[in-house]
Order: sequence, then C-alpha cells, then structure tokens
Amino acid sequence: MQRMLQLILDTIPNQSRDGITFHFLLSNNKMSLVTDSPVHSSSSDDFAAFLDTELDSNSDISPDQEEEDDYDTDNKRIKRCKVEVSESIEDPQGSTSHGDPEQSLEASVMKDVSCTHPGVMGGMCIQCGQKMDDASGVAFGYIHKDLRLANDEIARLRDRDLKSLLRIRKLCLVLDLDHTLLNSTRILDVTPEEEYLKNQTGSLQDVSKGSLFRLDFMHMLTKLRPFVHTFLKEANNLFEMYIYTMGERSYALEMAKLLDPGKVYFHSRVIAQDDCTQRHQKGLDVVLGQESAVLILDDTEHVWAKHKDNLILMERYHFFASSCRQFGYNSKSLSELKSDENESDGALATVLEVLKRIHSMFFDPELGDNLADRDVRQKG
Amino acid sequence: MFFHIVLERNMQLHPRHFGRDLREKLVSKLMKDVEGTCSGRHGFVVAITGIENVGKGLIRDGTGFVTFPVKYQCVVFRPFKGEILEAVVTMVNKMGFFAEAGPVQIFVSNHLIPDDMEFQSGDMPNYTTSDGSVKIQKDSEVRLKIIGTRVDATEIFCIGTIKDDFLGVISDPATAS
Repeated sequence: MQRMLQLILDTIPNQSRDGITFHFLLSNNKMSLVTDSPVHSSSSDDFAAFLDTELDSNSDISPDQEEEDDYDTDNKRIKRCKVEVSESIEDPQGSTSHGDPEQSLEASVMKDVSCTHPGVMGGMCIQCGQKMDDASGVAFGYIHKDLRLANDEIARLRDRDLKSLLRIRKLCLVLDLDHTLLNSTRILDVTPEEEYLKNQTGSLQDVSKGSLFRLDFMHMLTKLRPFVHTFLKEANNLFEMYIYTMGERSYALEMAKLLDPGKVYFHSRVIAQDDCTQRHQKGLDVVLGQESAVLILDDTEHVWAKHKDNLILMERYHFFASSCRQFGYNSKSLSELKSDENESDGALATVLEVLKRIHSMFFDPELGDNLADRDVRQKG
Repeated sequence: MFFHIVLERNMQLHPRHFGRDLREKLVSKLMKDVEGTCSGRHGFVVAITGIENVGKGLIRDGTGFVTFPVKYQCVVFRPFKGEILEAVVTMVNKMGFFAEAGPVQIFVSNHLIPDDMEFQSGDMPNYTTSDGSVKIQKDSEVRLKIIGTRVDATEIFCIGTIKDDFLGVISDPATAS
C-alpha cells in the first residue's frame, strides 16, 4: 500500500500535489485514477479519502527519478501478467504508471476483519470469499468435490452437530455396504448354479420391492440383506446414518439408491474410498459427528484400527458363491442353496436390537440431564 | 450481471454444407457450439442474438474444411463480487447450503447465514429461525450477495452470504404450494 502511494506521489510534481483529490473512474473493466473527476463510483470513495489523508501526511517527500524508473519496469511486468483484468492508475499529468488498486484495497479490508478461514470451497474461503491457494485441512469430497475444512471448523461443526442431534435424541451410525447391508458380485462371476437368479431380479424403477438387482451398466448383481429395509427405517428414527464403504464413489451412490430410493436416510452422507484420508483405513475424521456419539457397523475390524471402541462387528453376509470363494469358504453359498438369512432373526434384526438397547441406555433418563458427557463407547 | 456484447469465433465448416444454406448452417453450428458454454473472461454465453459479420473463409490445407471468422452479438452472464443475486436452493447440509442462479453454483456457508437460523436435520434438512417463521430448504428462493467468484474454463463457482440487510428467503416452497 505504502509503496503504491509512494509510486503515485513520485509521479506527481511536488508543487501540484497539495489539494489534489483522487477518484476512481470505472469504465470498460479498466480502473483509472483521475483528479477531480465528476464521475466516480461510490465503492471507491473510501479509497479516495484514504489517499487524500495519506497524501497530506506525506507531502514533504521529494520525487526520486531513479526509483520511479525501477517501479515502472516492475509494474509493466505486473501488467503483462494480468491479461484478463487490466487495471491502471493514471496520474493527472498523463505520464502513466500502473498498479493494482483493487488488490491493496482488498488487503486492507481483510486486515480489519481478520478471517480465520474455516474452510475452502473451490479455492475460496467459505467465510470471506478470499482466494486461497494452499490445500490445507481435511477434504470433504462427499459433500462437495472442492470442499476442504480446517480442523477447528470440523471441531466446531461436530460440537454443534452433537447438540442438535442430542436434542432430537439421535446418535450417529456409520454403515458399511458390502457384506454388511448387501452383497454384490460381478455378473461374470455368477456360477451356473446361480443362473436362476437372473430371472428373479427386481425392477430398478421400484426398488422398494425385491432385494435382488441387476445393474447392467456396472456389470453387477446385487443382493440386499434380508431385513435391510426395515432395519434402515427403524434405525433412521434413532440415528443419523452415514454410508462408509471402501468401494468406489459411483458404486456407493448406486447402492445408496437401492437402499434409500426416497433419499431420506443418507442425503449427501455417502463416503467412499476416495474420501478416506488414509489408504486401506476407514477413519471417523471425515464424519462430521462427535466420536462419543458414533456407532459403526462393519464386517471388517482391521480397517477401523483407530475406532475399535465405536465398532460393532457384523457377521459377514455372503450370498453369492464368488463372495464365499473370495473369503476362502468352500461350502455352498446361500444362493447355490437357494436359501437366505432369516428375515426375522437374521444378523440385521439382531443388531437392530443391540442398537436400540445402546440408544436407550445412552438416553437413559436416570443418568441425569447432561447428555453431552455421555459416550457410546462405554456401552458399545 | 448480464451483458450484451460482440464476440468473435473461428468456425470450421465441412465442405458438404457449402451451398445456398451455408450461412444458416454456420449460424446454427455457432449456436450449438457456443450457447451454454463459459469463458473465463465473459462468463456464460446465454444466447446469440445476432450475427454482425461473417468474414472470408479460409480453406484448411489437407482437410478441405473452411474456417470462417464470425462476429456475433450475444447475451452473457457473469457474476461479480458484491453483486446481489436471486438463486434457488439445491442442497442444504450442516455446512451451509448450495444454490443455483441459472448456470452459476453458489455456496453459502453456515458462517454467513444469520446466527438466529439453526440447522435442522431430518427428511428435509433446513435452516430455521427459532420461532420457525423463516425456513431455508431445498427449492427455497433466496436473495444473496456474492463475496467471491472463481471462474473456470467450464464453470463459475461463487461464495455467497445472506448475513446482511434485505438478504435471505424471498419465497418458501412450503408456503407457496
């Protein structure tokens, strides 16, 4: 700022400097500075006033020819870089020097507000709109592809979230897809004994009926675990639910469509492989829920190395033969036996009972009013 | 903000189109190529309103294609920092909400939503005042102020605020229907 003012000062002959007022003239994307111009935009008045005061206080500085030359070359370079929005300051005498008034103006405004930059969305701070180039913080690609949040902001959001969740008497539930809520196989891997399944697939238009789906565009056959619709419906009353899978994002979203055709359970809370911050590990760092109120339902223990206390381990659901072979079972799969888990006392029904019990223990009125201090990990 | 400006583009045309309808073919191809695209400098090209001038064609060596410099008038839309826009809410989450004003996507973080509005999760996530009189949810129309823009080759993304006088919900889908 000082440098720029000095630059303007230097180009004005000493005797004519007093009593000059500066205004900005906005025209055709060019910003020019002229003296006593009748036309000026109101947004630049502040800057003009600021210039006035600065000019008065600095009026005894004499112009330095050598320095001016330096600045000129400097500024020509700057101007060449800015092809898109060229801005120039013209002094009243016509000898031109260039600068970037908008940027310095912005900088001075920023200083006053002192934004903490809680997060970055598409290269801009979500609070002050300032351009941010550094990619700091945790990426939340499942909310928006360009969103990153600083740690303080995540903590703040979790804290706020916990309060609002507890008010409506809900906890967080993180659900795995494969082998927990459903089982998928590639159509290529379907064994001859399973061929009959291809005639039993449900329609993708109405996914609430049926539990076997053929997704030709992904070359997949997917079987939902028995009881899953009831499970989700009841769990939705007690929990805010996330999907968290090691599968790809496109797969996760397709599965979410099958499980939640009305988009009432998950909304944008579908976390996939590329959202994980560590390879081959699932972490609660990308879940905007306080760890003390998060329950995890998964069939694989080792991916949750840091959150074992939150985990409820599920019995694996193997419907397809390929899935059994993958895990080294040689016995016939459920599909080959033409059977399935029991609807009323299968693994999901059992675990729903467990979840209900944890929920009622957490919100036990006999434990007093302070819900925020409670922790699911003590009971889970 | 909308602008009516003159732009120029070099159009390549296949020789099979040469004939009486050459000019029409050129214009319809121009519309197909240009309308709905976005340039960093001018913003979104909303519609072509007229052709100023079609220059002399130049035959490309080897291919037989001919390049015509075409000057055309068009309406462009480019958001600016400080501009007030009306937008439709597309998604609400605990981070804030997303809204669209035509082709422009705008994010309003919960820092820039008035403090008396609280996030309510549920089937229809929303931000509501404590007395329930004002509600922002999917399909609400809001008036917001742009505080930051990022213009890419193919899209314009903005950060907005409704934490200012005369900003916020202008029509609520729940009360309208």
